[in-house]
Amino acid sequence: MKNAIETKNLTKKYNNFTAVNSLNLDIPNHSIFGMLGPNGAGKTTTIKMLTCLIQPTFGQAIVGGYDVQKNPDEVRNLLGMVPQQVSLYKDLTVMENSQLCADYYGVPQDERDSRIEDLMELVDIKYAKDKRVGQLSGGQKQKASLVASLVHRPEILFLDEPTIGLDPTTKRTLWDLIRELNDSGHTIILCSHDMHEVDMLCDNVGIINTGNLVAYDTPQGLKDSLLESNKIEMKEALDKISEENEVSTSTKEDIENLSLIKMSFLLKNQNDEIIDAIKKSSDVESIEIDHNGRINLRIDIFDDMAVQNVINDINSAGGIIKSISTEEPSLEDVFIKATSEVNEDDRA
Amino acid sequence: MIEPKKFWWMIKKELISLKRHPARLVSILAFPIIMILLFGYGMGGEMTDLPIVVVSQSDGNLTDLTLDTIKNTETYHVVEVIDDLDEGKSRVESGDVKAAIILPSDYDDDDSSQKGVTLYLDSSDQMASQIIESSTQGIFYRLSNMVASQTSVSTENASVTPSIAHSLDNFKDDISLHINKIYGNIKYIDFLVPAILGMTVMMSCMMGMGATIAGERETGELARLFMTPTSVSTVIGGKIAAKLLIELVRALILIFLAVLLFSVSIKGGFLQTFVVLVIGALCFVGFGIMLSARTSTQEDYAQISLPFSMPMMFVSGVFYPIETMPWILQKIAYIFPLTYLNDAMRGIMLKGQSLGDVWADLVVLLGFTILFFIIGVKRFNRDV
Repeated sequence: MKNAIETKNLTKKYNNFTAVNSLNLDIPNHSIFGMLGPNGAGKTTTIKMLTCLIQPTFGQAIVGGYDVQKNPDEVRNLLGMVPQQVSLYKDLTVMENSQLCADYYGVPQDERDSRIEDLMELVDIKYAKDKRVGQLSGGQKQKASLVASLVHRPEILFLDEPTIGLDPTTKRTLWDLIRELNDSGHTIILCSHDMHEVDMLCDNVGIINTGNLVAYDTPQGLKDSLLESNKIEMKEALDKISEENEVSTSTKEDIENLSLIKMSFLLKNQNDEIIDAIKKSSDVESIEIDHNGRINLRIDIFDDMAVQNVINDINSAGGIIKSISTEEPSLEDVFIKATSEVNEDDRA
Repeated sequence: MIEPKKFWWMIKKELISLKRHPARLVSILAFPIIMILLFGYGMGGEMTDLPIVVVSQSDGNLTDLTLDTIKNTETYHVVEVIDDLDEGKSRVESGDVKAAIILPSDYDDDDSSQKGVTLYLDSSDQMASQIIESSTQGIFYRLSNMVASQTSVSTENASVTPSIAHSLDNFKDDISLHINKIYGNIKYIDFLVPAILGMTVMMSCMMGMGATIAGERETGELARLFMTPTSVSTVIGGKIAAKLLIELVRALILIFLAVLLFSVSIKGGFLQTFVVLVIGALCFVGFGIMLSARTSTQEDYAQISLPFSMPMMFVSGVFYPIETMPWILQKIAYIFPLTYLNDAMRGIMLKGQSLGDVWADLVVLLGFTILFFIIGVKRFNRDV
């Protein structure tokens, strides 16, 4: 079995409203998949269909090789879910909640407690096993929720905003844990609005908007495609200019923004001679100088030699470069682009 | 297919929660105590010691006998015996006392053919005035029999139309009436307690199911259970079992308190009363499940259940017999399960009937229960 999850024209309608529209999605086994989308895009409805909480209106979803409509209990046995809102019983301890979940999943009695203890050690919550969930901090609750969700050794784990509201240290601990779980063979579906989290953790990302899958690739693939798409758009804009005699100011600004890429140097020995050399470079469109040795430039996106030429100019003027960075589209840019395109289509 | 281990977890969870929340436990136990005290003492008690004055304008043996009789009657608290008629009337009108019993100046005269006793009554207090009126009639009926003289009493309604008096003549009665109360001397509290038991079970079952189902739906616990390979009926069954257990403990406390505080007799036996309450509790738990099947928050549930629970409380014959209500309310009463629970409870507790005697009520209750459960489970979906 190559894919942990496969959907074919998966659709959910509520009267005249289509929450999910013919979703075709393949999530490879043992991967971390990031499911992105604005609020109300259809992510939750998709997850509810995949976790057998609601029935699809049309189409098919195969989870772990089982059809969600024909074999819901087999699917449920393969799934674990860590919801955004910790849904453990607050009056029960971490141990009791885990035992309850284990019994609801039918974990053999002789293995139950040892499995729970092992998981508690893995997520580092064993010290609080006899504490009531209601008394735990946000991070501890998420860890407890993970234990309860993993106790039946699910092949596929859904994580819905697992790090929202957590401090940076706890976030990092959970990220490490997610990687560890993935390394140990779990397929992970991560729903998050934290683009950095998704970019860093996920092998593949799907963006859902108004019930449609509007983008699907690796995080880098999505960013590269945005870069390419920007170039294409700029070419189209240039063509438009050649066809029209008068171009509006906003069009000019749009073209300018699309055709330039930000570049930043940190120099050890910033001086006027180096700055003059950079200013004279034909590849540099604009320059901003910080007094701590940082120089921010905007260079031509189409010129494949632009970066190299600027470096050569700095070197020739005796500049010592401590670091270089070029601004490329982020996953957030991809998200905004992908979701705004559909919204514009809708408005049209 | 119900799985016992999962079923037991729901009961265990409720018991652990209660154990760890003493305040909640106290509230659960206090609720029936408050209910029985509130309704038992507040509504079920008999009115005694109603303040009155006696205006005595006569003198003699009959007057002394009458005063003694009035003073020894529990219904009244004779604030003062006076001889000024106007003062007596003004004390009623000012609200100082509820009534003035006026014995005329010829009350003790042997040759007086008719003795016109007047009851000057504050009829704005409907309950008190009715009790004083009937009690006074009773006293003078007995007195007239004793002295075999012709005594009459007339009543004036002080606050409404003081000038209009209606006559309650001819107390002397040649007909001897023997009253045979087939279920003994039943007080209002006896009538009230069985229905209070039913009503308390109804209220706590309906409110409790809202917290259990809608509340857990709101906080997400229910979603976690539904993501496991577990049937809806097991999850709901577990919730019902847990709720039922708590309700039955409450019912036991209620029965115990009713007997202890109000000396209510359970003529049909404790076990049969308990069985009827169990059936009633099941019915209202089912009602709660039906209403909560699609409500997403506890607040929604409260809003939805209120239009059912409130009318049921007042129309199902808890406080007054259904037969005394307007015909439309009588018809409505019979679509509420509480009516049948009350009827069965009164049958067993007051009349000493057996479960077999109240079979019709039980069949209707079980019918409602099955209907509520079928609708509830069918409407229930895992979409939480």
